[in-house]
Amino acid sequence: MRETAKGAARPDPLGRALARLCGGLAIFGGLVLVALIVMTCLSIAGRALFSAPIPGDFELVEIGCALAVFAFLPYCQMTGGNVVVDFFTTKAPVRTRAAMDLAGNLIFTAIAGLLTWRAVLGGQDLYRYEETTMVLAVPVWWGFPPAVFCSAVLTVVCAYTAWRSAVELRTGQAGEREAGGL
Amino acid sequence: MSSFAIGLASFPVLLGLLALRLPIGVAMLLVGGAGYIMLNGWLPLISTLKTGPYFQFASYSLSVIPFFLLMGQFAAKAGMSRALFRAANVWLGHRRGGIAMAAIGGCAGFGAICGSSLATAATMGQVALPEMRRFNYSGALATGALAAGGTLGILIPPSVILVIYAILTEQNIAAMFLAAFVPGFLAAFGYMAAIWVFVRLVPEAGPAGHKAGWAERWTSVIETWPVATIFLLVIGGIYLGWFTPTEGAAVGACSTGLLAALNGGMRLPGLVDCLQETAKTTAMIFLILLGAELFNAFLALTRMPMEAAAAIGGSGWPPVLVLSAILLLYLLLGCVMDSLSMILLTVPIFFPIVMGLDFGLSPDETAIWFGILALIVVEVGLITPPVGMNVFIINGLARDVPMLETFKGVLPFLLSDGLRVALLIAFPGITLWLVRILS
Repeated sequence: MRETAKGAARPDPLGRALARLCGGLAIFGGLVLVALIVMTCLSIAGRALFSAPIPGDFELVEIGCALAVFAFLPYCQMTGGNVVVDFFTTKAPVRTRAAMDLAGNLIFTAIAGLLTWRAVLGGQDLYRYEETTMVLAVPVWWGFPPAVFCSAVLTVVCAYTAWRSAVELRTGQAGEREAGGL
Repeated sequence: MSSFAIGLASFPVLLGLLALRLPIGVAMLLVGGAGYIMLNGWLPLISTLKTGPYFQFASYSLSVIPFFLLMGQFAAKAGMSRALFRAANVWLGHRRGGIAMAAIGGCAGFGAICGSSLATAATMGQVALPEMRRFNYSGALATGALAAGGTLGILIPPSVILVIYAILTEQNIAAMFLAAFVPGFLAAFGYMAAIWVFVRLVPEAGPAGHKAGWAERWTSVIETWPVATIFLLVIGGIYLGWFTPTEGAAVGACSTGLLAALNGGMRLPGLVDCLQETAKTTAMIFLILLGAELFNAFLALTRMPMEAAAAIGGSGWPPVLVLSAILLLYLLLGCVMDSLSMILLTVPIFFPIVMGLDFGLSPDETAIWFGILALIVVEVGLITPPVGMNVFIINGLARDVPMLETFKGVLPFLLSDGLRVALLIAFPGITLWLVRILS
């Protein structure tokens, strides 16, 4: 569960840059969340005191929440936050585990790529249909460019983690791993 | 292959992939996607993927999850864990095993503003562990009590897993929280009773601490007022309909955030830490939610859950036996899987089965009762070997205690858990009376 054999995977320039990008995106998404909770509290106060909630507060929460979650995804993958059942493989040789992780990361890369591609088309559809939200009349497609960007970053990060597993497979030395959960 | 058979076969395939270290969200996307293609073809799948994931993430009801997670992160930095532990310790610490009981009490109090077990265990452990070691508590009792106490974080509302269960099964979040209340208190008392019995059998494990005066007792209780206020505001506000669960979570996150900044001394690095931890857990949960959505869409196509529920409902097996078998399966799965993955993986199958059985309760009551039972047994997985996350966390804080000692220390609490689950199964009224009175 906790294996910290440092030194095997020295952070390379690409890894450092990606880590910084993912960390920045995570903080950005977090600030969006903070803005949402403050906005929600103000809206509740406005509703309670002056019967005047912030118009479209629910819509803002929805748009902001999607933005935040997409911004969070690359960070989670980069820091190994996606939960893995490692009970059956803790005793397995490092190379066996690295091979499994390589396969897993490649699968995730493919899925992330698929999601990015589909989100591009989905955004184009919504742009053409000129769909807007009910209260604020915000064009729905506005949410898609950031989502596509984050999905693209996620795809790159997945490919990078796959490469990292490939290095582990080659050298036979385990990199750093953290455990996640609730 | 019939669609029922495909649905049935998807489970061993999924579990196999999980055992081969595929992250659960990715595995559900892969198996769900493959099954969807087999039944409906490639085009319907990729057309749902155009806007489906975006609109799933842009969901008002799901936004309650990151808000509660942020609240828990802030709570950990609000400096209240020390005050809560002290308030319990001045009342209990002078008894034999009392400091461990105080740790349980502190965990229960912290659980009232934090919906996560790991955060509760880690935060309380940092405060209570040094105190117990100072009074020569045995490593097994000290770490065992904290690992078990951590599970109170998720039992006592607000609870992230309970929120997810409620969304998944379309239940009222406020009613779920209310129902978790009595079992949560029972858990805290049961754990304290376990300590009481343990130190009678092994007196040197938990010596008595200092006795505090009455003035100190009352002032330290009063010092926990921010926790009580936030808890009452969030849970009471949601229950009384002042605000939606999402708004309640936002109020909770705002107030714990303020508390962390004013009382806990949280500055920019602390804030960044909170945001990134929230980011990590939120992304993990939403990836699983995305996978679960596709997997469940595929399962619904196979009609397997409904047919299985009908078959078991018409089989004449005693309902309590079926329920116990399901809970036992949760215990087994809990040994290797994390609680959230388990709930998301199994509820689509087990929920219709349980709802098809007759326990003499209304459908809503059955749903609430099963949710609480499932939550408890799933949380037991956090303290059972071989993969008990709470045990790992507390053991990581107490480097001098061998892992085996901690797992031994958890045993009395597991017994207490077992007794409590049996009690709750035998008398559904324990879980439901608060809901019945207040609705």
